[in-house]
Amino acid sequence: MTLIKRQKTMAVNYCVTPVIQALVSCQSMQLTRSPERHKIKLIQKAMDASPVDTRQLKNLAIMWGGLLSDDIRKKAWPKLLGVDVDNIPPKPDKEILYGHRDYNQVVLDVNRTLKRFPPGMEVEHRMSLQDELVDLIMRVLVKHPELHYYQGYHDICVTFLLVAGEDIAFALMEWLSVNHLRDFMDSTMDRTKHILNYLYPIVGKSKPKLRDFMEESEVGSVFSLSWLITWYGHVLDDLRHIVRLYDFFIACHPLMPIYLAAVIVLYREKEILSSECDMCVLHGLLSKIPDNLPFELLIREAGDLFIQYPPTQLANEAIKTYKRKALVVTGKKSIQKYATRRGTGGSWLWRYLVPDVGGGYIKVTAFVVVALLSSAAWNMWAARDW
Amino acid sequence: MAEELPRNRSQSEQKEELESSVTVIEKQAQRRIFKIIVIGDSNVGKTCLTYRFCSGKFPDKTEATIGVDFRERTIEIDKEQVKLQLWDTAGQERFRKSMVQHYYRNVHAVVFVYDVTKMSSFDSMPSWIEECDRHNLNKDIPRLLVGNKCDMKLRIAVNTNLAQKFADSHSMPLFETSAKDDERANHVDAIFMTLAHKLKSKGLFTGNTGLRIPGTYSIADNMVMYYVCQVTSVCF
Repeated sequence: MTLIKRQKTMAVNYCVTPVIQALVSCQSMQLTRSPERHKIKLIQKAMDASPVDTRQLKNLAIMWGGLLSDDIRKKAWPKLLGVDVDNIPPKPDKEILYGHRDYNQVVLDVNRTLKRFPPGMEVEHRMSLQDELVDLIMRVLVKHPELHYYQGYHDICVTFLLVAGEDIAFALMEWLSVNHLRDFMDSTMDRTKHILNYLYPIVGKSKPKLRDFMEESEVGSVFSLSWLITWYGHVLDDLRHIVRLYDFFIACHPLMPIYLAAVIVLYREKEILSSECDMCVLHGLLSKIPDNLPFELLIREAGDLFIQYPPTQLANEAIKTYKRKALVVTGKKSIQKYATRRGTGGSWLWRYLVPDVGGGYIKVTAFVVVALLSSAAWNMWAARDW
Repeated sequence: MAEELPRNRSQSEQKEELESSVTVIEKQAQRRIFKIIVIGDSNVGKTCLTYRFCSGKFPDKTEATIGVDFRERTIEIDKEQVKLQLWDTAGQERFRKSMVQHYYRNVHAVVFVYDVTKMSSFDSMPSWIEECDRHNLNKDIPRLLVGNKCDMKLRIAVNTNLAQKFADSHSMPLFETSAKDDERANHVDAIFMTLAHKLKSKGLFTGNTGLRIPGTYSIADNMVMYYVCQVTSVCF
């Protein structure tokens, strides 16, 4: 897909949602005695609407609990992305799939994906799913020769396969591969590296001392690489946590995974600061995500950070980091374009709530508290322009 | 008096604590840390080798390494605690080109790994060596060549003599081993122990400051040979 087409797609998918509409739906949520059952009804209603109420569906996917169950996800994920599951192209012949340049690497990685299948699954069933996983990946790669497979892509695919089955997973992965995941699938990892450069500016805005400590240790940001490019599929053991995060990421801006990475780092501040200021020690500590993280809370905080420090605001700092590391990419212009393309450009909500204070440290405590306690504020956040 | 006594005791305790903490810091400063990077093609067993050495067992379920993983083990050499830090890297070329380079800095040794059942992984070795050189690694730092998966005897594709010639031409020792074979667990240990002895005996590094004192590396080194004697099917 050309850049222009991609920009258009982005614009359609992250269009502004009327906040009032979100507030109304939120009030109705609060009135119910059984929030989960009511949420299921709301999801169903949004999906059944003609055309599909994607704004409401996005809100519901981001809000507490996300899309709640895999049965709902199977139906709602395609609707969230505007994927037509009734017209999925048939699978090409095996000769075509297996003749692709990345086929051998895909097979090597899929054969080692045992950990990602539910424990207790029969070997035969698992092996047939692994075959489907290879086919699913190859279908996307064959259809889009401009995309390059990377180790970790299979971790995202296996999640979609387990929830939605091969055909729907293919349709979803095809869409995501040319949108959210596109930058990871360049011939080089320069763009991926650039996205990692957002981590320190986000952490630094909230906790400058933590950023200084991490910079002094020279730990870099590669510890979060697998978080970013697998959408946490590679590092989390519990599939329930993974699919919950996928609800969030599918409904949000493509840079949201790096905001979540920053939130996880911030959440572990005490552990980090009490460790030795050494690259190896910190890499060892950070690269393993504890299983018991409060993901719902972290999702909210990632959203807060996104509002406080949108990508456009961080672009210059990311460029500085980028220059400091003397990386070789296509230059400043493309990076600025990237941030503008991906960013929300400082929406009215952002301007209203958080005035620009020249890039200094500002913690919008009131907003954070409100966002944590009030589903109305949460929904307002969810309703903004992604 | 009754009030002063506890205060005196606490002062002496504080002094002891201070002294002991100073000793701990000194010990930490003295402890040598050797950073070793493990590189090679995808699926040759880099993760299994490092896991075997650091955890003493073969991992149940290994996955593709994404970016860089880190493992460490403290060993004792000549009554001195030495920490080996192993950087296990992703094998896919795209990671090698942009993500792994950060980790080549300040390493004290390089372990090149290939799969004895897969010729292409051996054929890639020159490009891995070139990669190392490109990152300005001191060419005097110890390098090892490890052929993994020796337990798959019927599928061996890389001839030992061929590998030996290659290793000789690059002045590095060759080890053929298996991270999977429990009977060879000591073998994997010996490889890294050999390396640790080599690093320590050459005084390549002191403390954890990363100060590098280059030394020449000879495959006929006594210390290496000593360890090699304990290892079967090691080729020099």
